[in-house]
Amino acid sequence: MDALVHSLQVWLKTTQLYYIMNNVNWAWRTSESIHFIGLCLLIGTVGLFDLRMIGLVKRVPVAALHRLIPFGILGYVMNVMTGITFLAGASDQYIYNPAFQMKMLFMGTAGLNVAVFYLATYRRVAATAPGDEAPFRARIAGGVSLLCWVGVIFCGRFLTFYRPPWHWCPWC
Amino acid sequence: MDWKGFFILMEEGGIGKWVRESPSMWAFPTIIALHAVGMGLLAGTNAAMDFRIFGFARRVPISALENLVPVMRFGFWLNAVSGVLLLLSYPTKALTNWVFYLKLTLIALAMVDTWLIRKQVIQKSGMDDATVSARGKILAALSLACWAGAVVSGRLLAYTYIYLDSSFDVY
Repeated sequence: MDALVHSLQVWLKTTQLYYIMNNVNWAWRTSESIHFIGLCLLIGTVGLFDLRMIGLVKRVPVAALHRLIPFGILGYVMNVMTGITFLAGASDQYIYNPAFQMKMLFMGTAGLNVAVFYLATYRRVAATAPGDEAPFRARIAGGVSLLCWVGVIFCGRFLTFYRPPWHWCPWC
Repeated sequence: MDWKGFFILMEEGGIGKWVRESPSMWAFPTIIALHAVGMGLLAGTNAAMDFRIFGFARRVPISALENLVPVMRFGFWLNAVSGVLLLLSYPTKALTNWVFYLKLTLIALAMVDTWLIRKQVIQKSGMDDATVSARGKILAALSLACWAGAVVSGRLLAYTYIYLDSSFDVY
């Protein structure tokens, strides 16, 4: 596994993307700006939907609010793409960074959570009337999603403070 | 007192010193992380409001958008407090950079814009108004532009500063 991760990290340094990120003056700041706008789109739609699930903004009907989720998906795609440019641009600073590893863990958990939500819960949630509480399972899903995305943001900001080779992480 | 004295005063203050120099993850790292969370809540919820005014998610009643205001307010205060702490830690860096003033101006414009949207669009709409006047849509477009500009200029602060601290060494 370690060898695989290492070869991925080394391979990333041979890509065109690595060259662009390290030689084009505006590349890094442009990617970052897009990454932050994507963050706003994601929190403003998916995060808002989560807040509705846990019992805030209750006057907004659930199924109607859900129609804004495509903007959150747009933000997610923007952030995966710009995230790949960071990863390729400084692969050693990300792959061996415990903050980055935790960020991926939070993203994976958010992904599992949303899969379970759509497979098992969404149909009953959509029927929630304005002013009503969402079902219990939906409240859990909303809470988990919020925690995960806040975790993703925290880890994303912590990346720069825990640069390899100097390490900090809760388990080491 | 001249500008330099003012910067030194802020930099040497206990709060600014703690934010800047503490090795604790609860100091600078956590404050800047909270600033990003608040940004997502404030700019993101504003964007959601703007999208509804443009005509997306049409079944959300316009009047129900008033419900988003507490979320925006929470994001705003989170960022006002974390922003002041960040400013106290590097006052020279921010206050000698014109991009910082651009960012504050865009935020002020965006907030006036949101206030206008609330007074003229949200609070004037009946329960079943589906569409919004062209004027409301222009306000929503301005809101999106101001927030996007504020987010980008905030991000660019890390690239555009001239002086890091009151020693006024050029970086």
